[in-house]
Amino acid sequence: MSPFGALREQLLDAATAFSDAPDTLTDILSGLVDDVDRALGERLEIFPVCHHSPASAAAMVRRLREKQPKVIYLELCEDLRPLLGELRNCRLPVALQAFATDLDGFPPGAGPLSVVAPITEASAEYQAIAYALETPGVELVLVDRSTDHVFQWEPDGTCEAEGRQEGGEHGEETGLHGDAVGIEIGDLRPRFAELEEHLLHHGKVRHWSEWWDQYVEQPLIGADYDTYRQVMVLIGSLFRRLTRAGRRLAVDEERERYMWTRMREHLADSGADPADCLYVCGAFHAASRVEQFGLDSEATYDIAPRTATRWLYGLIPSSHSAIEAQFGLAAGSVSVAAATWSKAVTRGGLTTFTLAGQKGAKAAPKRRAGAASTPRASQPPPSKPPASADAAGATGGEAVNDRLSGFLATPPALDELDEAELRGWCVDIVRLARRNGYLASTADAIAVFETSILLAGMRGRARPTPYDFQDAAVTCIEKDTVPGRRDVRRLCEILLGGDRVGEVGYEALPPLARDAFDRLEPLGLDLSKRTVQRALLDLNADPGLVPCSDLLWKLRYLLPEDAARPIMGERGLGERSRQESWDLAFGRYQRAIIELGYEGVTVEQVLEQRLRRTVWKPDATAAVALAAVEDAVVFLGGRRFADELGARAVELLAAERTVDDAPEVLRRIRRLLAHYRAAEPELPAWCGSFVTTGYAHYCTLLPIAFASDDTGVRHVAAMLGFLFGMESLALSLGCDRLQLELAVRQSAPEAPAKLALLWAAQTQLGLLPLAELRARCDGLLANPLVVPSFPLYIAGFVQAMEAAPALSGFVVEVISKAFGSLPDTVLLPWLPKLITTLRHQAGDLMPMLVREAGRLFPGSLPQLDTWVPPWSDQRAPASPHAAPAPAGPVTALLAAHPSACDAVAELLGCEGEWRAPVAGGLAHREVAELLARHPEAPLALAGLLT
Amino acid sequence: MTQDMLRAPAEVKYAEELDWLESIDDGPKPFSWRLSPRMVRLFVLGSERADGLDREIPQKWFGDRSFVERAIVTLASDRGLLLIGDPGTGKSWLAELLAAAICRNSTLVVQGTAGTTEDHIKYSWNVSMVIAKGQSRESMIPSPIMTAMEQGVIGRFEELTRSTSDVQDALISILSEKYVSIPELDEDNIVFGRPGFSIIATANSRDRGVNDLSSALKRRFNFVRIPVVTNKKSEAEIVRFRTEELLRRHNIEVDLPPTLLDILLQSFADLRTAAASAASDDERLESALSTAEQIGVLEDAILHSNFFGDRTLRAETLAGSLVGSLARRSPEDLAILNKYWHGVVEPRSKKDGGAWNDFLEGGRQAIATLS
Repeated sequence: MSPFGALREQLLDAATAFSDAPDTLTDILSGLVDDVDRALGERLEIFPVCHHSPASAAAMVRRLREKQPKVIYLELCEDLRPLLGELRNCRLPVALQAFATDLDGFPPGAGPLSVVAPITEASAEYQAIAYALETPGVELVLVDRSTDHVFQWEPDGTCEAEGRQEGGEHGEETGLHGDAVGIEIGDLRPRFAELEEHLLHHGKVRHWSEWWDQYVEQPLIGADYDTYRQVMVLIGSLFRRLTRAGRRLAVDEERERYMWTRMREHLADSGADPADCLYVCGAFHAASRVEQFGLDSEATYDIAPRTATRWLYGLIPSSHSAIEAQFGLAAGSVSVAAATWSKAVTRGGLTTFTLAGQKGAKAAPKRRAGAASTPRASQPPPSKPPASADAAGATGGEAVNDRLSGFLATPPALDELDEAELRGWCVDIVRLARRNGYLASTADAIAVFETSILLAGMRGRARPTPYDFQDAAVTCIEKDTVPGRRDVRRLCEILLGGDRVGEVGYEALPPLARDAFDRLEPLGLDLSKRTVQRALLDLNADPGLVPCSDLLWKLRYLLPEDAARPIMGERGLGERSRQESWDLAFGRYQRAIIELGYEGVTVEQVLEQRLRRTVWKPDATAAVALAAVEDAVVFLGGRRFADELGARAVELLAAERTVDDAPEVLRRIRRLLAHYRAAEPELPAWCGSFVTTGYAHYCTLLPIAFASDDTGVRHVAAMLGFLFGMESLALSLGCDRLQLELAVRQSAPEAPAKLALLWAAQTQLGLLPLAELRARCDGLLANPLVVPSFPLYIAGFVQAMEAAPALSGFVVEVISKAFGSLPDTVLLPWLPKLITTLRHQAGDLMPMLVREAGRLFPGSLPQLDTWVPPWSDQRAPASPHAAPAPAGPVTALLAAHPSACDAVAELLGCEGEWRAPVAGGLAHREVAELLARHPEAPLALAGLLT
Repeated sequence: MTQDMLRAPAEVKYAEELDWLESIDDGPKPFSWRLSPRMVRLFVLGSERADGLDREIPQKWFGDRSFVERAIVTLASDRGLLLIGDPGTGKSWLAELLAAAICRNSTLVVQGTAGTTEDHIKYSWNVSMVIAKGQSRESMIPSPIMTAMEQGVIGRFEELTRSTSDVQDALISILSEKYVSIPELDEDNIVFGRPGFSIIATANSRDRGVNDLSSALKRRFNFVRIPVVTNKKSEAEIVRFRTEELLRRHNIEVDLPPTLLDILLQSFADLRTAAASAASDDERLESALSTAEQIGVLEDAILHSNFFGDRTLRAETLAGSLVGSLARRSPEDLAILNKYWHGVVEPRSKKDGGAWNDFLEGGRQAIATLS
């Protein structure tokens, strides 16, 4: 006879009395009792838990002390087991992580796969783990499906059951888990929104965490074990029965089958006595109805094999806010749970379990030990009290007393007002508020105290919860909202424990991270700190820091931007700084460093792998490969690897069918060639083949690029730049110039800009004399039908400077002419366009253009008045009648003997004729006339002189 | 009695309900309160089946439960209550309901204006009586606040920040010492506040700059900030509830078509979004776009269609009323509405059709008339 018979009757009566459709309700209500009955009657003791529940943790501590089980089965991915030992090197909360990039068996593009299971101190699972690891002879068995199955069972990668953290506006601490899929033990929450809404509405609370705290957590935190178990299973069963059937439930049932199968296997293998075992699982799973449930079940279940994916495991730091964000909990709820837990420990006199050497847990046990006044410290393994054998047996399917009826029928025993605690909160919040710029005083502390009690009274509780306190503090202290100032609600969260951020200890770090920290030791900084630290490196004074600097640059390349940020100093091809200063925040980006550790053993190896992966990606291009070469030269040095990447660049270039990347390729190869010429005795072989391949490649594509509308002027200009710029090297390596000439001859562009480019190329090749080019341009300017499109020609010419720098003078000339002769209706609308085009497309070419213009134009305003452009016709010395032949002895001599001059002129091919000398010279005719009219003065002067 | 008043105060209007609540109330009551805090909350926020009452108490103020709780608790404490919010968020209505529920008197109100003097807060004299009989308690005219002190009930101060700072500061001693001394009198010259006295003040968050509170006064008030309702569902409820109540005065029973209510709420929501993203005041409607304004628009439209139309509310009328109420400045507000009509309403009417088409047309006409 079930102990719950009376309760069942009562519920059935209620169902008939209140429901219009008694059958459905009867099923649900009697089902609830059945579930509890079943779970409690099971031979293997089931311990139902809920995530981040101090009540679960407290019950766990009590139960473990009492029963001292030999085997603990835990609902956690079985492949995470080896990580648990490393927890002792960390400060909680941290998350166990499984990470995979080499996927096998999953759809391509699904990776990287990442699963995190956060562990906090105030959780039942941590107590179980600590007990099992610290007590000799106790075995901890993780029984849930492996991380591989997590993704196998969610083929499209959307884990409905657990949260995948949304990106975007999360703060720094909330983003600690990255985009990993979160799993947690004891997920217990209504599975459809209406039920949750209903509970919140009638519970008169704002969010789920508050509901849970008020209706489950507080009544259960001091309850005896039987009551705890029965209530938890009841809640699990309620949520389970009010769930819509769907994939999420199907996955949960699969997991239950998996777990029970694993446990039966383990019991059969190890021969352990089920009475000495404890199965810790979410309350939802305790109310399971799968046929594999129970040790006595005969139902079999075939566990699907894992895929061949290689999983890597590690610990990453977590934080309360990251957990809240990942699992959709209200902000601050995990912190409140932590505060409740430490209070429960003090009040209940619990001696908690702690992993030896656990960071951040030192202070707590001392206080607890004092408060509990138990001599037993947490360290030595608890010796089993003789009476506990009976106690352990009491639950193993034996007498179960109905505690549910009492629990459901009576209102929960309310917590007494803890004045000291509330007073402490009130004083602290006022102090905190003052420090944050609020005008708060002792009077406010008193008001907050009073208001908290009144609010709690109004909401039907004797003891104000943290949420009541928060409301009271907001009411009494917050008078203004100042942007940028923390609001009182947030201050309350900080006060009640605040966000705690975990830290993975040095020993638990992957080899790469340890190696990096070791190598950065000469900096003399504590890199585990979460603050930003400034490192100053004077590489001249202390050459020993050069390896640190090298490593920092590599880390900067690999890690998120703010993890290592250079404030002073640069590194590029051939660039090195003598002094560097860095802002380092490795403590805050620990996860990123740890995840690097999944990729390799040293930073260099990871860098090499990443670069190699970049150039071998299916969408890699020659420009990407050249960038990788550059990075390899800058960060890794050495020729071997750069040459390998360079060879790949050659392959990629030869395989390219478009010229989209031409400008980038040109820019990078120029830089690399300049670097190699300056730094190495000879060019690497791949550079030669890159140039020859590029020469042939671009020659082939040139006519198409000229003709195609899709290819921009800039790209064609870059191709020409490559062809002309690398010409000497290419020809020396055996290329044929004829190929280029032919390509240019085959090109027949229609667009004005490309036409200009082609003309420039022809001029550069010597196919088109400069004079003719000038004539063509003048012709265009003179033709009113073409004038509107002339600006496009100019754009082409400007781009052509990339390929033919010698033409820069001509480009200045064309632009000047355009400005001089284009009508305003064409010129003015075009000017803004010219400026934007030049800025975007020809930014690099501008200095050359400006320099050339500076050379040609006069330097000052007065000079401008008399300045004649060098290309102007007027200045041409061709005017035949310009110089008058002066009279004088030399002229007379030459005129008397013209044969020599005639012979020279004939030899030189000059045509000319002899002109009669003008007496006194043409230039002085006025003076001669004046003297002739007034001869007195000169005559008097002559008389005086003679 | 309610028949003779254009607008009956809450304690008169809900007298029967309050009597009933008082009769069943067995909770602890602070001071001389007529209802316990939980019953006050019930009165304001309405009952649910779970409360297990024999009759239903309708909800009278719509908003977050915690605001009401915080307000009630403040009144039970030593401090005054200051309700802050944009115009039309229901501050005064909440104040009235609270005063009515707690002490059955919500009429002890001082209206804060630039002309409010200290006499309005403390007391003044009946000059002819002073001449006839000299200064005595008889010839003194107590202010509503002083009356509230004497009776141990709630006094209300509307638009606190509209009165000048020195006048506001007269409240400091009232809220701290809880008495007002009358130095003109030789005896019986102190009026002590009786238990139950407290003050509910309201302040407009848009006008806070006019006369900001001194920090000494701020300290004596608990602030409860009432936000503009943005939840569409509760806003619809408020608009429907208030409009029906207002129209009952004209004995008009309206059946409000849900589509029109939806259009009204949607256009206010759009305009609010636009106002929030506007860079300067010129690009923002002068109106605060509060719920009260929606009620005004709707009431106006219904009255119009009742008195000058065919007694059915139409989308054109609603559009005309909306434009008429919101276009306060010309040309700024008209330009914003014009932009809204062409940029948002027009595409929506093309997409959704139905009543939006008429709404578009009506709005266009109204804008054209006003421009």
